[in-house]
Amino acid sequence: MFRILKKSLKAGVVTGQHPGAAQSSASFTPQTHQKMLPFKRSLAIREVDTGSCNACEMEMNALTNPIYDVERFGVHIVASPRHADALVVTGPVTVNMERALKDVHKQTPDPKLVIALGDCAINCGVFRGSYAVTGPVDRHIPVDVRIPGCPPRPSEILDVLQRLKGAR
Amino acid sequence: MTERSSPVQQLETAFPGLIAKYPSHRLVQYRVDKNRLPELARFLHGKLQARLALLFAADCRPLEEKYEIQYLFSVDRHWVLLTIDVVGHDRLFTSITPFVHAAQWYEREIRDLFGLIPQGHPDLRRLVRHEHWPKGTHPLRKDFLWDKTIGRQQGEYRFRHIEGEGVFEVPVGPIHAGIIEPGHFRFSVAGEPIMQLEIRHFWKHRGIEKLFEQQTLTSGLPLAERISGDTTLGHGLAYCEAVESLLHLEVPRRARYLRSLFLELERLHNHLGDVGAICNDTAYTLAHAHCSRMKEQVMQLNDRLTGSRFLRGALAIGGVAKDVSAIQRSQLVDVLETIEKDFAELESIIFANASLTDRLETTGVLTERTAWDHGVVGVVGRASGMDQDVRRDRPFAAYNELAVNVVCYRYGDVRARLRVRMDEIHESIRLMGEIRNKIPAGPLLASSGHQPRPREWALSAVEGWRGEILYFVMVGEDGHIHRCKVRDPSFPNWPAIQWAVIGNIIPDFPLINKSFNLSYAGNDL
Repeated sequence: MFRILKKSLKAGVVTGQHPGAAQSSASFTPQTHQKMLPFKRSLAIREVDTGSCNACEMEMNALTNPIYDVERFGVHIVASPRHADALVVTGPVTVNMERALKDVHKQTPDPKLVIALGDCAINCGVFRGSYAVTGPVDRHIPVDVRIPGCPPRPSEILDVLQRLKGAR
Repeated sequence: MTERSSPVQQLETAFPGLIAKYPSHRLVQYRVDKNRLPELARFLHGKLQARLALLFAADCRPLEEKYEIQYLFSVDRHWVLLTIDVVGHDRLFTSITPFVHAAQWYEREIRDLFGLIPQGHPDLRRLVRHEHWPKGTHPLRKDFLWDKTIGRQQGEYRFRHIEGEGVFEVPVGPIHAGIIEPGHFRFSVAGEPIMQLEIRHFWKHRGIEKLFEQQTLTSGLPLAERISGDTTLGHGLAYCEAVESLLHLEVPRRARYLRSLFLELERLHNHLGDVGAICNDTAYTLAHAHCSRMKEQVMQLNDRLTGSRFLRGALAIGGVAKDVSAIQRSQLVDVLETIEKDFAELESIIFANASLTDRLETTGVLTERTAWDHGVVGVVGRASGMDQDVRRDRPFAAYNELAVNVVCYRYGDVRARLRVRMDEIHESIRLMGEIRNKIPAGPLLASSGHQPRPREWALSAVEGWRGEILYFVMVGEDGHIHRCKVRDPSFPNWPAIQWAVIGNIIPDFPLINKSFNLSYAGNDL
């Protein structure tokens, strides 16, 4: 017990110890502001991977670590699309994941927001044109927010989420 | 070539008339008749204890009207490659799965991607192609256009059922509760213990091997780096090594040291994350918080060194694209020393926790025998007593000058896999210290004017943080890639989970899965 306390005291508060976000080129659709109105205080996110290389997933996971600690802004990651306010979709949509993505979108209660995370979700990235890729996310479901990057840094994702909540 | 391992001699004595070719160091190739292959494979696997490392096909059209199937065995630090031809309209070849279990997924993959049928295979259900793909879609055939749109048909995938009173099926996925990749798991349970697990993957199949065929040798690197994001450097390096041996490039010594450095950095941040995640799955969030803090420190370090948290763009064909200055190196060692101390303290906290140890011990045991039968590689293999590490066995990058202490445990449970990772964290940090002391000055890039002829090929192996990554690159016309076979360590390891979970309870599955921590993206390609 003493050891654990000592360790925690030694580590201290690490939250926020990361380089600031570069000017993000994230883009919002005009309706985003309207759609975000009910979620000013908190935002429940469900992450859906439709064929990414898993780097975007790692950065989403990094958001929950003590350094970025996304929960302090009222953003939490939920286990089911039925509990979600926003879907974060990563990766180009593969032939095999197309139906799963549409199902998830249907099961997310309205009003909802769709965030395309990473270059692949926005324009298929290096996988563009492949027989096994059916297109970017917005070919299948309406997308509100686009966060480019391969992958976007967690500080950039955090910045976009904060801007969303401020809905500036 | 004078150096010949005794297994190779034994093979040639048992099968006189084999004509050996030595395409590269420690690699012997035999071109054999397809009817003779099963006995050879049986001899290699059964008598000589050779591990099936890779099995894949290539469509040789338009140069030659045939398919080639290559069987790569690893025996005693040597590669033995058996090549057979499948000619004409006869699209059959004999399955070796009945006696080389590790061939199971490979042969199903060949059937899906090339339409060649492994005769005698016990399970010919679709693997890569899901049930809604139209019949006759075989994307790696040369007459299949890379950007063709695939239609949809009705179909049903038949899972294996266990029937009986009180037996239930629990479907999980493809979309899971955490932030993880898609995959489907079907459990059959009676009460709590798992009687059977069937894995259905390939949801993320993006057609990477076909995409490679649209690239030239020098332009394929960004694609290789995006096969599995967490192994960006491992895949990139394996691709570079294969291409460099085709282009006859001699990578400068300094660049080789930097490559080893980057590879160890990648190993470090992933292992730190895994140790934390394993603890988190036993609800021990304290260790998870500390580990993810340390992991983040390493990723920020990566970012400072190369401009990418995943080390993307750090490599180049012929060397490295990013240099690490002397100041950066000493900063690096400072950060690493802090992390090592930090992590050692955490280790003693973790192992002082009896309830944690209780969850880890005897959970998800993968016996040495099962691991061997599946040809399991990497961390998972080393936790089950398979003493293999490409860095030591077939040195690449700068590992011929760095002595790697290979970590090996025998019990094959979650705790053993955790211990392998913990010990490798210390070993990685030690290696990076050694690299800092030994790194020579010199150029970062080599260039060459050599143009490989069509149908030349090269094989490369790299020990990524998960395990052995294999690349087979064959040159096509005008510098394009004719065939690029990628084998992530996840591919042989996934089926092994199905056996490791038997008898465990479903709530332990996430823990077992995390202790394997395999890539879905690298498996599905």
